[in-house]
Amino acid sequence: MEQMTTVVVQETLAAFTVYMFQHMADQTGGETPKSGPAGPMASEAEFAAARFRSLSDEIRGCAILGPRGVLAATGELEAWAEPAAEMLAAADAAAGGNSSHAHVATEEGEAYVVRLAGLAMVAVTDRFTLASLVLADMRATLRELARPADESIAEAA
Amino acid sequence: MPPKPHRLVMDRVSGYADEAAAYLRRRRLTRKPFARVYAEGGGGAMHPPESESGRALFLAAARLIDTAR
Repeated sequence: MEQMTTVVVQETLAAFTVYMFQHMADQTGGETPKSGPAGPMASEAEFAAARFRSLSDEIRGCAILGPRGVLAATGELEAWAEPAAEMLAAADAAAGGNSSHAHVATEEGEAYVVRLAGLAMVAVTDRFTLASLVLADMRATLRELARPADESIAEAA
Repeated sequence: MPPKPHRLVMDRVSGYADEAAAYLRRRRLTRKPFARVYAEGGGGAMHPPESESGRALFLAAARLIDTAR
């Protein structure tokens, strides 16, 4: 397997760090709850989507969906809304109810769906990615996003 | 004369690397498109492209993949 070069790793890290600093105020603001009854805020979802995207060069993009639609995506929200909803609907129809996760591998790439804690996430990767790793990262992203604010603060303290 | 110890290690490592490369090559050649869906209850199933559910999954996945380009 081809090893990622140091330059690529540093570029990924640099891109992610800039994004992290842009959202620093949202992450440290004590008055702003991380999540409420309506679910996580869009800024946290954007941060989570960017963090997930930065995990690997093989991840092409992703979108995080809440009960009212797309919360965040690695591209235009409007562009992701319909295909993401369509993918979730197709997975649910195939499962005969709510699907917990799905993996569709095509010649052009691979699509993943994960549902967790009232949230859903769709992701697109290159071909031949390790499905278990991608699914585990998607679950970790949603789990972190769904975690209540007081739990995150207690862990950080 | 017995081979030097580092030669043995190098041979073994390159042997493993060859096997891994061959495995990945076979995987790329033989792997066909597929769709797997797991229900919340725990059961999972394959959905071949010929089936109605599989067709819907592949169409939705293709659209999603196009979005991520």
